[in-house]
Amino acid sequence: MTTEPAPGTAAPMPPSAPAHEPETAHEPEAAILLSHAARWYGNVVAVNDVSFSLGPGVTGLLGPNGAGKTTLLHMLAGFLAPSAGEVRVLGRSPNRDPSVYRQIGLVPEREAVYPFLTGLDYVKFNARLQGMPDADRAAREAIARVGLEDAMDRQIGTYSKGMRQRVKVAGSLVHNPQVLLLDEPFNGMDPRQRIAMMDLLGELAEAGRTILFSSHILEEVEQVGTEILVMVAGRLAASGDFRAIRALMTDRPHTIAIRSSDDRKLATTLMGDPAVFAVELTKTGLSVQTAQLGVFRRLVARTSRDAGVRLLEVVSSDESLESVFDYLVGR
Amino acid sequence: MALTETSSLTKDYGTVKALDRLDLQVEPGIIGLVGANGAGKSTLIKILLGLIPPSSGRASVLGLDVVADTHEIRKVVGYMPEHDCLPPDVVATDFVTHMARISGLPRTAARERTAEVLRHVGLYEERYRQIGGYSTGMKQRVKLAQALVHDPKVLLLDEPTNGLDPVGRDEMLDLIKRTGTDFGITVVVASHLLGEIEQVCTYLLAIDAGHLLRSAPISHFTQRTPVLAVEVEEGADRLVVALVARGARAKQDGARVLIALESDALYDAVRDVVADLALPLVRIQQERGRLEDLFRDAAPASGIVQ
Repeated sequence: MTTEPAPGTAAPMPPSAPAHEPETAHEPEAAILLSHAARWYGNVVAVNDVSFSLGPGVTGLLGPNGAGKTTLLHMLAGFLAPSAGEVRVLGRSPNRDPSVYRQIGLVPEREAVYPFLTGLDYVKFNARLQGMPDADRAAREAIARVGLEDAMDRQIGTYSKGMRQRVKVAGSLVHNPQVLLLDEPFNGMDPRQRIAMMDLLGELAEAGRTILFSSHILEEVEQVGTEILVMVAGRLAASGDFRAIRALMTDRPHTIAIRSSDDRKLATTLMGDPAVFAVELTKTGLSVQTAQLGVFRRLVARTSRDAGVRLLEVVSSDESLESVFDYLVGR
Repeated sequence: MALTETSSLTKDYGTVKALDRLDLQVEPGIIGLVGANGAGKSTLIKILLGLIPPSSGRASVLGLDVVADTHEIRKVVGYMPEHDCLPPDVVATDFVTHMARISGLPRTAARERTAEVLRHVGLYEERYRQIGGYSTGMKQRVKLAQALVHDPKVLLLDEPTNGLDPVGRDEMLDLIKRTGTDFGITVVVASHLLGEIEQVCTYLLAIDAGHLLRSAPISHFTQRTPVLAVEVEEGADRLVVALVARGARAKQDGARVLIALESDALYDAVRDVVADLALPLVRIQQERGRLEDLFRDAAPASGIVQ
């Protein structure tokens, strides 16, 4: 990486995105940095005043259809200039400085692969575009990473959807980029391929790459990592660790489902604690509401022991990524 | 009557065997069909629809032979294809009515059924607009409506949530579930998303390389395992040490502690240790099997249960 320290260029985080630590002036600039970036098409505003920064690791890019995810990825990849504000990748502007392409790998959502090329030729072609000295070797390595060796000499036109998806990933990895942008990379993959791709993203993140991938499948995003960016109607609704975002949703109390050996007795005891403000007996056990999750978590075991009740199950019922996402998109 | 029965069902395309002596017997319900890409799912669907003949072996749908009774099968089966197959310049009502007419419904009945199914899938005013201007979610609904319009007994859905965002997916899954339970028709859902299958299906059919991998009720895969997972915000390492000191078999797995659930007294041990160490307790939950384990080599809990 050749980024210079850029004092004072760290973008201020918008108030809706408090989960990120602000960059200090002494650190080098984040791998991906947007500052008040916007993109409009005529009167259609696809991305509206978005600021965030991302460093190494995996981040899931979420949002309803039409929220501006693809436009955002295309601005980062250099396909589109921001209509206003600034987009920087590794300290450079991707749509004005092509040298940064050497450090960006992109997996577009559309199947932009030539059906008449073999998998190996396609990846090799990408390697040559990126000026790799030994394109053949680089291509074979990238193909091995996505586990497509057996099919690399077949034409892409004969591939299944999951194979085309993987050959695209191999093409985006071949020059070993610092920043990887993936638009719905799991689409069309079967369960085993999904697991392998998640593992691959995890490995690349461990190795210090900055990875941003969009997805609609929340349970998968949750398996890959906890860092998310959520776009809603062109705006950044939140960014950071989704559990930290959940903690900030103070107007929504936390709900914990409990099963115990004596639900009624436990309910009575829990109701006596100021951290708990509602307890409901349900068909399967107890539903407890608290505004002070931290306090509740420390008291629940002790309270049950004091009441002589056996705890069979304690589960947060609204801490999932799905719950956070629903809240942010205002469902 | 069995939904479908196959015996030694084989389909080869030249040298490639898409299905290899597949033997199946599936009862009606909401059935999830999973398999690796190239495992033969699409081929199986096409054969069951009577669109392509098997190379050898036999297959039947609701007792109808897929080769001899092709026309009868089309009356009882509705099919929602995966790819975008809708004419953009046709109004949704006209399209679905047309599909109903093709299935042999008289004009009036076709109109009435169309109005009903479009309402069922959640298209109201939009149904008088051209399909080309529809969102992905609306197009998926039209595809489902045309599959339902002739009142089939079996519905085959190929990746019905493809391209939908989380809200759209939830709505579609709910719709599939309602279609299966309210109308009492059998639904076969082909999908790669195991979470989805777990959510709506009652039965799982997994095929791999043209063979049957597993065929069992979903509950069979998601049974509780004799492992208790305990999650704490901090101090998982201390929790393990304290539990092991009490004679439990426990190991740390990231933020979680997995404990072999040998007796019910273990619940008390967990509660007491967490209370003694004043750890912030996030979760106590018996581990369940997951559909995903079918496709993973080893489950994380396998180390402590043997």
